[in-house]
This record gives sequence, C-alpha cells and structure tokens, in this order.
Amino acid sequence: MAVSSVANSDTFKVTTPSDREITLTRLFDAPRRLVFEALTRPEHVKRWWGILDDQYSVPVCEMDLRVGGKWRIVGRGPHGEGPEFYGEYLEIVPPERLVNTEIFAPFPDAGSVVTVVLTEEDGKTRLTVTAAYPSREVRDMVLQTGMETGAALSYDRLEEVARELR
Amino acid sequence: MAVDQLSSTFAALADPTRRAILARLASGECSVTELAEPFDMSMPAVSKHLRVLERAGLIARGREAQWRPCRIEAGPLKHVADWTERYRHLWEARFDRLEHYLQGMKAKEKTHGRKQRGK
Repeated sequence: MAVSSVANSDTFKVTTPSDREITLTRLFDAPRRLVFEALTRPEHVKRWWGILDDQYSVPVCEMDLRVGGKWRIVGRGPHGEGPEFYGEYLEIVPPERLVNTEIFAPFPDAGSVVTVVLTEEDGKTRLTVTAAYPSREVRDMVLQTGMETGAALSYDRLEEVARELR
Repeated sequence: MAVDQLSSTFAALADPTRRAILARLASGECSVTELAEPFDMSMPAVSKHLRVLERAGLIARGREAQWRPCRIEAGPLKHVADWTERYRHLWEARFDRLEHYLQGMKAKEKTHGRKQRGK
C-alpha cells in the first residue's frame, strides 16, 4: 500500500466478499453526518471525487437525491474528459445508508448496485462501499482485466515492449 | 489515449476466451491452429475472436508466412494496466482526498456553527 501522510490512509482495504462483489472500506476522522453530506451533495462531491491533483476536476456532478432520482458524474483529468458514471438512487437513509445503481458509461450492460454503509467506530466513521455486479465475469473484469493480462505477460516484458513501441 | 480506444480494448478483453488467447500469446507467437487447440471451439470461432483482438490492436498477424502467426501487441495492454492501476489508486486517493475535505468541513462548522440545512 502506498505510503500516505493523510490520516487513516492505512485503513483503506479492497476485498471481495462474494463472487459478484467488490468492497472498499476506510475510516474517516469525522462524524457520520458530515461524511454522508460529503458523499451526497454535489458542492462537496465536486471537491474530492477523482481529484488526484490540481490537473483534475469534476465538470459534471448532478445528484437528484431521492429514491428514483438520477445521478451523473463526469471527471476531467490531464488526458481530457472522462470517466463518466451515472445511475439511480434506490435507498436513502441519512446518515447511515445509501443504495444506488452505478453504470460506468463505456459499459452500459455491466452496471452495478452500490451499497454505501456508514458506521460509527470509536468517534470515527467507517465507510464501506460494496459494488455488486451482474455476474462474476463482470466483477472480475472490473477487478482483474488489467492485472490478469498484466500478470500473464509479466510487467517487465510489457514495459520492455511498450518502450520499443514508443 | 482516447476513451474510445480504451473502451474497445476493454470490450475485446471482456471475454475469457480472448484473455486466454492473449495469455497463450504472451509466451510467444503461434498459429491459429495452435491457438484453437486448447479450446473446444471451431476454427472460424477462434478466427472471430482473433479479429476482435486484432481490431483492438491487441494482437498483430504476420503477413509474410502462409500460416500468419499471431503475436501480442503490448501497447494497448500497457494502457489497460495503467488504467487499472489508476483505478485502484484513484479510490485510495479519492478517499484520502475525502478525508482531507472532511477536515475542512469540520473546521468550518467549528468556526461558523452548524448551518441549518434548507428545506
């Protein structure tokens, strides 16, 4: 895991609780109510989502936060527009639970259902995001496509060939 | 890299047979017949997969020899590997950024008191 000076960074974990799911979890040093707001209000989301450094921004962030309401986020980075995600809210229980669909625009058939759970833990808030995909194949594609092929190739060889192609 | 190119690479990779073909090619060039061998699949079916991979720029096929050997092209795969790596980093960085942002939100509340939410 990357060394980071940001608080609680070492609590970040990625796991696969079942064949079709990916879970991301992390502790935050803030009350649950604030974390929920930061996740669900565009003026906040635009300030942290996909902002890796000042070359990144979120030009589009629309969140119609009600059951059946739609959301859409488009990021922008040094290489231009994208990625684009969109979906619909299925369940909203502030400040503890949020369920929505999430579609990564290039793969409209491979949408996921994302469940966000916020729990209080020793004065901190644990954020657990579980994405459930329609099948194991899709989940594995999201999780492994690059890694699997990368491993088969071995990164050294890849690096070598990529350098030749440049 | 254009988003479309990445999408077509991912679409080509979104099939277990095609990933297995790439894994096989990673250990060296081979012919269509050799590639078809481990799969319970007709030659035309394998050829179809190869065309998808070729269009995505993931493999190249020799023109010199009659048997047109297939070989892997690392360029697009490198982009995919970069992308996946970025995806993982993105989430870690995204959460770090959220933590940082939350500290700002907390400080603001402390200074101004909690603002009542409208509506």
